[in-house]
Amino acid sequence: MDLIQVKKFRKAFGKKVVHSDVNFSLHENECLGLIGGSGTGKSVLLRSLIGLEKPDSGQIIYGGNDITKFSEEELIDVRKNIAYAFQGGALFDSMTVFDNLAYPLREHTNLNYKEISEKIYFQLGQFGLADSELLFPGSLSGGMQKRVGLARAIILGPNIILYDEPTAGLDPYNTKKIEEMIIDLKSTGTSSILVTHDMPVAFSVCDRIAFLYEGTIKQILSKKDFNNKNIDNEILKFATGAYF
Amino acid sequence: MTSLIVDRFNSIVFFLAEIYFLAFQVAKEFIVKKIEWKLIFEQIYFIGSKSLPLVLITALSTGMVMALQFGQGLEKFGGQLYVPKIVSLSIIREMGPVFTSLMLAARVGAGIASEIGSMVVTQQIDAIRALGTSPIRKIVIPRVIACLVCLPMLVAIADIVGVTGGLIVGVHELKLDAQFYYIKILSTIKLVDYFSGFGKTFFFSFFISITACYFGLNVKEGTKEVGIATTKSVVTASILILVGDYFLTKFFWIMEKWF
Repeated sequence: MDLIQVKKFRKAFGKKVVHSDVNFSLHENECLGLIGGSGTGKSVLLRSLIGLEKPDSGQIIYGGNDITKFSEEELIDVRKNIAYAFQGGALFDSMTVFDNLAYPLREHTNLNYKEISEKIYFQLGQFGLADSELLFPGSLSGGMQKRVGLARAIILGPNIILYDEPTAGLDPYNTKKIEEMIIDLKSTGTSSILVTHDMPVAFSVCDRIAFLYEGTIKQILSKKDFNNKNIDNEILKFATGAYF
Repeated sequence: MTSLIVDRFNSIVFFLAEIYFLAFQVAKEFIVKKIEWKLIFEQIYFIGSKSLPLVLITALSTGMVMALQFGQGLEKFGGQLYVPKIVSLSIIREMGPVFTSLMLAARVGAGIASEIGSMVVTQQIDAIRALGTSPIRKIVIPRVIACLVCLPMLVAIADIVGVTGGLIVGVHELKLDAQFYYIKILSTIKLVDYFSGFGKTFFFSFFISITACYFGLNVKEGTKEVGIATTKSVVTASILILVGDYFLTKFFWIMEKWF
């Protein structure tokens, strides 16, 4: 079953056409990797899936509705079910880690302070962030910020998670931690789309990998497809690092 | 040259349309959605309390300088006795509201634009939206309401301090009798004068807050644009205050005649 379907997606910034005709779908219980060179519009595509960007034309079908037609008000329910993990965490720097995590709970649930606290402490423990609840984002390392951002994104228990380069700029230890978290979340039945340049992470986490090239999805491959020879030359170059 | 003028005109029309749309969104969400009192009080503290020293210094020095200038100027004609009337009326009707608003546009408008601009650059505004909440409700409304609450109060304080500054100079430099000065102020200033100045502050506070939020939210290209947005916010708010002051003065003048 398809959770999200993207059909004939087109997006341009001024005269620069970033996406000319993008089509793909996200299946239930899968992690779909989205790879492509810098500037190919992976993040723009990901942002569009929760209405942070509007396409010039095309459809994004979620729950039977074309969300590109949704108003900000209508998108609230979509955003409660599709979490977005920002590349840099996008934490509110005027709030502590605790308040950052409490934000979606205070906004969208009727939980009392004790219940919110329990949920946050549990989440912080899961993400290896125990004892950091009173810290402000400015005093966290890049890896910790990403983990807090991820913890905040999933605290409402979304059906789908969109990861925007979750391991970019991280050392191998933090990369591994994030990778394990994504695998853990996947094991709970949550579907996800992972935008990354990190091919080892993509291979380790994703069920299928879509390659964005010149405004379209060039090819969508499963892991075993990478073992045979029917891979597009551009993808092969990208995956092996010979692309640039 | 003609195309430049047309472009300028178009950008002004576009800006006004965008401001109108943002103001409409603010009004709509303020009426329909939950009001964030905690955020409003936080902003009242930052905008009101933190601006008070600047406003006090501005008002005091304005009152003192005006008294000194009018005192010296009118001395040639033996008109020093009119100093209390002129200074207090100028401060209550014009200088208090306009100077306080300009100071707030510089301090608070710049602060709001740069803070929101930085939030855009660091994707915090996107995060607010991605978490199913509205940046208008969380960011814009508290700042607009706080400005609407704080500026009139700051102007009321500035009026008193400014007139007091004039009194200090009148007594010590112009050698006017303190009681005479005080009685002249009371006999000159009518409630309608006070309301004419006070009424403008609601418009000015709106000019400051809405333009600052608008320029902050429209930062796109990174930190360099935060600086540009901050400058634009202060310049635009200042122009709106100064130009708007003429029309508002005229408006209140007509109102006074009616009532």
